[in-house]
Amino acid sequence: MIEFRDVSKVYDHNGNELRAVDHVTLKVDKGEIFGVIGFSGAGKSTLVRMVNQLEKPTEGNILVEGEDLTKLSKPEVRRVRKRIGMIFQHFNLLESKTVRHNVGFPLALVGTPKRVIQKRVTEILEFVGLEDKADQYPEELSGGQKQRVGIARALATSPDILLCDEATSALDPETTKSILQLLKRVRDEYNLTILMITHEMNVIKEVCDKVAVMEKGAVIEQGTIFELFSNPQHQTTQNFIRSVIESDIPASILRGIEKRGAGRHIYRVTFVNETAGEPILSQVSKRFDVDVNVLFGQITELQGIPFGHLVVEIQGEDKEIVKAIDHIQSAVTVQEVYSHAG
Amino acid sequence: MQVNLIDFWPRILEATYQTLLMVGISLLVATLIGLPLGIALVVTKQGGLLENNSIFNGLSAVVNFFRSIPFIILLVAILPLTRLIVGTSIGTAAASVPLIIFSAPYIARLVESSLLEVKTGVIEAAEAMGATPWQIIWRVYIPEALSSIVLNLTIATIGLVGASAMAGFVGGGGLGDLAISYGYQRFETDIMVVTVLLLVFIVQATQMVGNLLSKKAKRQ
Ligand SMILES: Nc1ncnc2c1ncn2[C@@H]1O[C@H](COP(=O)(O)OP(=O)(O)OP(=O)(O)O)[C@@H](O)[C@H]1O
Ligand SMILES: [Mg+2]
Repeated sequence: MIEFRDVSKVYDHNGNELRAVDHVTLKVDKGEIFGVIGFSGAGKSTLVRMVNQLEKPTEGNILVEGEDLTKLSKPEVRRVRKRIGMIFQHFNLLESKTVRHNVGFPLALVGTPKRVIQKRVTEILEFVGLEDKADQYPEELSGGQKQRVGIARALATSPDILLCDEATSALDPETTKSILQLLKRVRDEYNLTILMITHEMNVIKEVCDKVAVMEKGAVIEQGTIFELFSNPQHQTTQNFIRSVIESDIPASILRGIEKRGAGRHIYRVTFVNETAGEPILSQVSKRFDVDVNVLFGQITELQGIPFGHLVVEIQGEDKEIVKAIDHIQSAVTVQEVYSHAG
Repeated sequence: MQVNLIDFWPRILEATYQTLLMVGISLLVATLIGLPLGIALVVTKQGGLLENNSIFNGLSAVVNFFRSIPFIILLVAILPLTRLIVGTSIGTAAASVPLIIFSAPYIARLVESSLLEVKTGVIEAAEAMGATPWQIIWRVYIPEALSSIVLNLTIATIGLVGASAMAGFVGGGGLGDLAISYGYQRFETDIMVVTVLLLVFIVQATQMVGNLLSKKAKRQ
């Protein structure tokens, strides 16, 4: 659907060349929500802006549905842009126009008859839940509502692709959640392909199917969200993941374990893309003669599936513990953190 | 010799009409020149929609050139040109020529600054929708900047009222001419006061109407 082939973007910074995007190769499939995460200045905006040619790549090719955008003339670029919606961090709505006019704007640009615009605007405002705000002006709306207008406007022409440049970065966590849910619905109902960039891992965690991590213009790691969360290779990726789920055992707990370590069996149980949830632990204590104590842990949800880990202490006879671990291992990953034969 | 103010009213009314006419004509023509010029400055600027360094630099230099000539000098220096255009160098129409040349580049700069207030993000959003540069000018730049343009045109109008007093003195006609030739040169204080009051009223009314229209333009 969207394909970056060895794409670079070089800016001239007072004679020095600045590689905003550095040899990026990516593929976003149809109907996918693809996230790009990176720190400020990583080149994320530059990357998405090349998809609708707001920026021209210095090297490489960008293909949208097999069509190479880098080879298009200006009018052809405008034609392609009509199939690509975009939403922005600061919404970028026309302040002098009502919500209705803002949403109808891209349709008016292509000379759509007024009646058709009217009908489509009503329909799409209903979809984003703003039908009662049609005649208000952007400055009368909250940030979340403005972004809904932005989304409605982007969808008005029924595009195939939606680009989101930090679409939730100006919003509070609750509003962010509702906008992300809306974007999910957009994908599900319209089968859109969404490319979103963000510097917040919880946004990625919430809605993305795949993710690429960018640093200094380059994509340093990419994969499905589970691949990345369960096996992050790069330090930056690990840091991002740590921002939503803590994987290290806190120092206070570690100290406690070390102080009274003799005879304790402590394990880290990791849930990755596996159906078992916490019940496995209670099952174990029922089925075997062991007690399971949760010392620390964090479980979150990735695409509706629990993901995370628990640090547990298993108490009981060594023989029973071995059996219990075997059982847990049949469902999820278990790793020994600390064990000291008593 | 004392002039009776009552008998003098028709003269004052005529002068008021001449002032309004001068300001009206100059504003209209100067806007017709200044608005496209201001738009051209913005779109040809570096990073603009139709970036073009040589056009931008050329236009900018012309605008700066006319903006740097003091009005009183422009007024006299332009007399031959006025005669060429209007056929005479006196009268209300003749007085409008220097006023237009004076205010068109000023309006161009005012329009330029109004358009630059439009957030680049909004322009970019329109570009991302596949709008042509022409559509962006008419459907984004102008409507979004309209409120500010109106306010700036109000400023230009008030400037024109002041300048028209001078232009009238050279070309003949208007309240300024009246104030100077009777009030100042013949010590008719009454007439001086009345004309000044009228000018004050015109300026106040202009600002009021300008504010009102500008507010209206905010929400279209
Ligand atoms: N038009 C430009 N001219 C010159 N340099 C630019 C331009 N646009 C971006 N850059 C540079 O390219 C680099 C990447 O910028 P970009 O905006 O893509 O980063 P980003 O990842 O989106 O950051 P943020 O999270 O702050 O938005 C930065 O160093 C920036 O200064
Ligand atoms: Mg950015």
